Amino acid sequence: MKVNQPDTSGAIEAQKPVVESDLIEPTKTHQVAQFKHEFPLTSCRVDPTGTYVVAGAQDLDIHVWNLHTKVKRTLKGHTSWVRSFDFSDDGNTLYSACWGGDIKVWNMTDAAPKPTMTIAAHKGSARWVRLSRDNTKLATCGNDLLVKVWNIADGQLLQTFKGHERHVYAVDFHPDGQHLVSQDLMGFIKIWDLQTGKQARSMDATLMTGYDKKFAADMGGARDLQFSPDGNELASAGITNVVNSFAGVQDPIIMLFDWKTGKEKAQLKPDKTFQGIAWGVRYHPDGFLIGVGANRSGKGELWFSKPGEKEFFHTLKLPTAARGLDLLADGRHLVIPHSDGSVCTYRLTAKAKILGT
Amino acid sequence: MRRNQGCNQRDHHLARRQFLAGAAGGAVGLGLLDSPATAEKIKGQHKRVLQVYLQGGVSQLESWDPKPGTEFGGPFRAIPTSVPGMHISELLPYTAQYMHLLSIVRSINLKTNDHRQGRLFMEKGRRAGEYPYVGSIASKYLAPPNSELPGYIHISTRGLSDNTAAFLGAQHGQLKFEGVKPPKNLAVPKGLDQTADARRIQLRQQFNTQFGRGRSKSMTESFDASFEQAAKLMGRKSFFEKAPDGKDLERYGKHDFGRNCLLARSLLENNATCVKVTHHGYDSHAENFNFHLEQLGEFDKTFAMLLSDLHERGLLESTLVMVYSEFGRTPKINVRYGRDHWGSAWSIALGGCGIQPGATIGVTNEKGTAVVDREIDAGHLFHTYLQALGIDSTNDHEISGRSIPIGDPTAQPIKELLA
Repeated sequence: MKVNQPDTSGAIEAQKPVVESDLIEPTKTHQVAQFKHEFPLTSCRVDPTGTYVVAGAQDLDIHVWNLHTKVKRTLKGHTSWVRSFDFSDDGNTLYSACWGGDIKVWNMTDAAPKPTMTIAAHKGSARWVRLSRDNTKLATCGNDLLVKVWNIADGQLLQTFKGHERHVYAVDFHPDGQHLVSQDLMGFIKIWDLQTGKQARSMDATLMTGYDKKFAADMGGARDLQFSPDGNELASAGITNVVNSFAGVQDPIIMLFDWKTGKEKAQLKPDKTFQGIAWGVRYHPDGFLIGVGANRSGKGELWFSKPGEKEFFHTLKLPTAARGLDLLADGRHLVIPHSDGSVCTYRLTAKAKILGT
Repeated sequence: MRRNQGCNQRDHHLARRQFLAGAAGGAVGLGLLDSPATAEKIKGQHKRVLQVYLQGGVSQLESWDPKPGTEFGGPFRAIPTSVPGMHISELLPYTAQYMHLLSIVRSINLKTNDHRQGRLFMEKGRRAGEYPYVGSIASKYLAPPNSELPGYIHISTRGLSDNTAAFLGAQHGQLKFEGVKPPKNLAVPKGLDQTADARRIQLRQQFNTQFGRGRSKSMTESFDASFEQAAKLMGRKSFFEKAPDGKDLERYGKHDFGRNCLLARSLLENNATCVKVTHHGYDSHAENFNFHLEQLGEFDKTFAMLLSDLHERGLLESTLVMVYSEFGRTPKINVRYGRDHWGSAWSIALGGCGIQPGATIGVTNEKGTAVVDREIDAGHLFHTYLQALGIDSTNDHEISGRSIPIGDPTAQPIKELLA
């Protein structure tokens, strides 16, 4: 710097006006933010108000980022990796499930949240946790082959559903509030009647499992499970066509089922060159479906499909493995946890235009 | 190496009993027999080996050397065991209750990440060369002279066929059982009555005698022994036809591994010398944690029940128990949630005959990436197995005039692990 010249390094440059597009166009999906953690991430959830994203990682903590301020908080208390989350409708309460079998409840309005309740839910991993639509009950499932329903007010066990013969990977309440679905390692989807406490019927997702003859082991299970908003359809993400699961040689798949008939409606698969696992699925309020996965080489893909179509109409390649998916309530953003430790926000519209450029 | 070419080769053919007497003497010399009463007991018992081979490379972090809460520790926790201060992975809750019968070696560095090299090193105690497996050595030096069962039986649903006996002779080679199915061709061929069967055996023996004139006996005795072994096995066909007890199946599990371990127990109870049971499915380059949940979930209770039964039936004292792989798995978790091959810092469990129970040998660093104390390799383990069985591993095999060191002369046993 020349001595006689004024120092302008601290000056604020006038920002050019930016115009965000609000029109949802999946083919224009692009990354808009990235939050970084030092260890690979394993799961995520966005709170219903669109303020926080929480993520599990290959450590014992829950990592929370404020999507607006980008401030990060860390919630400590679990003694094993955290694999599933759900939020209360107001976003004030977080429920987390860990490999150790515990469910923990967190008050997110606290400055430094501590577990307000711990439920020793399952012997063996608690793989999944979901809150009922009326925000009164929790459904969990785990490696003790059980599906359980809990009263969130006091953590008391309300119902236990027995019937799965292999590890139960995911569970969710049907929007009618009367039923629960759960899917196990072998692709058996059971529909439980909350009134009678018994299995009402089943769905066949056995396509989503495979026995690896070479290694004499089964691989399968739902890696994500979600009902369409109207409850007429169930989507399950996972794997199919197991060739050598020990090396990750199998295909990702998202299966769709008709809720009323229980019959399969579609098998959605990415390009054959993308071998790996489908880790997430979400129904967009506009009717299309979003899926996400990771391949053997550690790359990711984001898939979009329209109702009734058998192929994805758009695929967005991601530089690192995607390990989950959640959608913000505004319908314009989705969040993905990645294997490189970043959680990325993607916007489902055209890129913002900077006026004057 | 050849020596003393001019002498009668019979001089070098130590009888098994003679060898064992020498081995027992060696054991005394090594301090393995601590009292006359113990020495008498060991002399009086047929020593056996139970090998449980976790094929593909079980993860040490998900089994014997958990590191919960560390960078590469994975999702599982460590649990206390029946040995105060000893913790193992929560994936082994049943085994944890019996760790007072076992010891852990946590400091193995094979310096190889290759399946075949690791497997051969672990079985032969040598990095290279044609040497017999532990099972074949047990068959040669421990099998009773009139054993009704082959000396080295391997129960596996699949796997590789190796020349396990090397220069010890085919009769000490591994006989593979495909699960609990009886070996093929146990029945006398159709259309062959007992008289005809006896005549063909007689004819073979005549040919042997004729062939053996002026030749070394060893050229035919291996074949003779194999025929005799096969005949004995044919006579015990009913052994495989008996369905396992329902209660046993309930305890061991109705899966293949449960049934295979029940067969192993029966074989050991019936004086088999070395029984190896392979449990497949640990080569988890992807989904390491889900696979270990599944595989160790199957292994844990079954193995614990087998160990408990051997203990309760008084067999453990005379049975060396080995739970091992060809290597461990990388501490670093790859993008597929997998762990890759890792021979640099991993663990096995040993127990039973000649092994100090409840011990933990060696230490790895906080992240599990390297051995920091008492580094050993498969050469040291090999000496340890054999000396635990009362075989002087510093002795030589005497084969047709050749003296071949039993164990690698550059390695030593883990003395603090020997009882």
